[in-house]
Amino acid sequence: MNRLSRATLAIAAALTVSHSLAATRGGTLVFGRYADSLFLDPVLNDANLDIWILTNLYDTLLQPTADGKRVQPGLASRYAVSADGKTMTLTLRSGIKFADGSPITAADVKWSLDRARNPDNGAWNGLISSIDSVAASGNTVTLSLKRPDPSLPSALATFNTGIMPQKLFAAAPGANDAAKAKAFAEKPIGSGPFVLSEWKRGSYMVLKRNPYYWKLGDDKKPLPYLDTLRFEIIPDDSTRILKLQAGEIQGAEFIPLSRVAELKADPKINMVLFPSTKVNDIIMNNRPKLKDGSDNPLSDVRVRQALNYAVDRNALIQLVTFGTGKPMKSFMSSGTPLFDASQKGFTYDPEKAKALLKAAGFANGIDVTSMATSGSADDQALLTALQQMWGAVGVRLKIEQLDAATKTARYRANDFQMRTGAWTDDIADPSEITGYYAVKGETEAAHTGFSDPTIEKLFVQSQQETDKTKRAALYKQIQTLYTAASPTIYLFETPYAVALLKSVKGFNQIPLGNNIFERTSIEK
Amino acid sequence: MHSSYVIRRLLQIIPLFLAVMVLVFLLVHLIPGDPVSTLLGDRATPDIVARANRELGLDKPLIVQFGLFVNQVLHGNLGESINLKVPVLRLIADRLPITLFLTVYAALLGVLMAVPLAVLAAVRRNTWVDAVIRAVFQVGLSLPVFYVALQLLTLLGARLGWFPIGGYGETFGDHLYHLFLPALTLGLNLAAVLVRTLRSAVIEVLTAEYVEFARAKGMSARVILSRHVLRNALISTVTLLGLNIGALIGGAVITETVFAIPGVGRLMVDAIFGRDYPVIQGLTLTFAVLVSLVFLVTDLVHARLDPRAELT
Repeated sequence: MNRLSRATLAIAAALTVSHSLAATRGGTLVFGRYADSLFLDPVLNDANLDIWILTNLYDTLLQPTADGKRVQPGLASRYAVSADGKTMTLTLRSGIKFADGSPITAADVKWSLDRARNPDNGAWNGLISSIDSVAASGNTVTLSLKRPDPSLPSALATFNTGIMPQKLFAAAPGANDAAKAKAFAEKPIGSGPFVLSEWKRGSYMVLKRNPYYWKLGDDKKPLPYLDTLRFEIIPDDSTRILKLQAGEIQGAEFIPLSRVAELKADPKINMVLFPSTKVNDIIMNNRPKLKDGSDNPLSDVRVRQALNYAVDRNALIQLVTFGTGKPMKSFMSSGTPLFDASQKGFTYDPEKAKALLKAAGFANGIDVTSMATSGSADDQALLTALQQMWGAVGVRLKIEQLDAATKTARYRANDFQMRTGAWTDDIADPSEITGYYAVKGETEAAHTGFSDPTIEKLFVQSQQETDKTKRAALYKQIQTLYTAASPTIYLFETPYAVALLKSVKGFNQIPLGNNIFERTSIEK
Repeated sequence: MHSSYVIRRLLQIIPLFLAVMVLVFLLVHLIPGDPVSTLLGDRATPDIVARANRELGLDKPLIVQFGLFVNQVLHGNLGESINLKVPVLRLIADRLPITLFLTVYAALLGVLMAVPLAVLAAVRRNTWVDAVIRAVFQVGLSLPVFYVALQLLTLLGARLGWFPIGGYGETFGDHLYHLFLPALTLGLNLAAVLVRTLRSAVIEVLTAEYVEFARAKGMSARVILSRHVLRNALISTVTLLGLNIGALIGGAVITETVFAIPGVGRLMVDAIFGRDYPVIQGLTLTFAVLVSLVFLVTDLVHARLDPRAELT
């Protein structure tokens, strides 16, 4: 190689590096979604379809980190918790504005938090139920707490505590909060990186960059890099992928795991598997009697353990997730904060399963029925595989296919023996999933009817334990006890599969599901 | 055509609507699963579900809910979507034109394909031409709509790049271009039904005595075809087309999903999965009105083409 070409190469390399440092500004990213949002209010909304858009429109005082495990400053540049753990003081950034240019005040924050914690509003107020009162003064917001709450910083980084403009909301037509929310949600104004500009329901949604966004990019100018973010609603998986391959859209979410390998091989496409907090399991009814009065063998812990030992998770991961999943070791995902890495979960041990069934008095095996969501290829593949695995130890599985609404109605009424289930955390804290899966609470531990007095006690303690090490120890104990009691069947964790054109840079989906477009750019 | 016939046919529609309202209301409320649980999902506590049900009036006895529903409809109000929190009328007004566009487009393509091919098959009956036409459409009839849709998308959309993959565009020309593949999908299915019936109808007319007579008089084959055969064959086509409009709307549900078209078909599927009662009820009523209108028009056209129809 001569000197000249070497120099050319060096310059070219330098240019590539500087190019990759400075993201391209401007342009439109078209992103294919599998379904449209329903209702864009951060407090009254419920579905992931809303949440994953809301986080682009509204900003929170704190934000989850990119790994979804901790929090970082958001609209509040810092926060401090008093020594007794019962007061939290947050300092708002100065000069921050909503997308219409009006300033964000401490009064807006107080009003937003008061609205979010009102028990009459939506399903999420429980996340900040430890707040007793909110005071606002200058750029300081002070939260007085009923008890020390280690999960509060994470709650202040969760969508339902998004800060909204009080004056604009109050000016929306409507007699009460619910009516105003409907009107405001048609044209929401927040302080997130984007602002809703057009929404044709069921078809597309256009978000424009918020010119007043406070965060700066690598070029020291305000984020986001994109001018426009356009969401196209394409419910059919195959069509979404075809559109991406044809270059009509630049990104597509919810790629079926069966298509991942094929898209990875496509030179134009960047097939990304983002770590998630999603766990896939079988939820069992643990009660001695089923709703119809018949005896339930699943009330015996040995039977539940046997079923867990009789699952070949690695085979399921190949069959159902096409090699993209990993075995569950605890009821919470390995991406959930305070997941205990020393948890063993269950090994595949059919002999042990047979022995446990025999010990429980079921030497001739048992009959069980599981509800599946009709039309779900994953449920079908999963339960058919389980039928084989369990059949080998004498468990005869019957599959009952139901549409999602019927299935939900049945398990909410505790009228089921087993069902396929899945969970994704909304908050960077283990308390949400633990409250739902492991303690009696209002949902009777995911409707299993399971309850363990020690877990109940440990959970209450963990909810006010501010010492991180001690709290981790409590969660370790909860996870160990839960696995031993086996109220559910551990299956696998699955990633979020998002396919992007290679020209798309800087997109991130965090383990809580939030799509982060603020640093996304399209390279020319 | 007598106006009393038209009036009689119009009046028949009223009891039909009443029956549809009662049936739909009962059916959607009797299937398990309620909108609130579906919407709130796993995380909602029984308290929250109960409160939401109270706010939406879903805790009231069925008969009271039905009374409120009928009262609303009589006032020209179809209620508000539980899941989307916008008026049902607005949702339907936004999306119905798209589905109607697609349906009419598909019907046109279907007829344009079916009529000439059916006549050709009939005129050349029992030759290889006839065999090919019948075989192609027989295959078309047995293939599921979503399969045909995906194949057309893959070949004409992704591979050859002649048509956009999904969506429906902004302007009229855009609509024609974007909706061509979905309309073709539905049109092929419709044509398959039409060709079979139309071919036998044409054969029947061709062998009828009056056609033999016309031929004997020395009338040209072209005149016989246009004056006698087509006119009579059209009677059965119109009836069949009318009967199949309902099926077209049904087919639109799948086509709209595959081609990402935001029509009422997809709205209905989403509403059923979400148990969004007001949307299901509003859409069913709309469909009932549409199908009744199509049947009415079909009957009137039929009566025009064949005056004997008024007597039945």
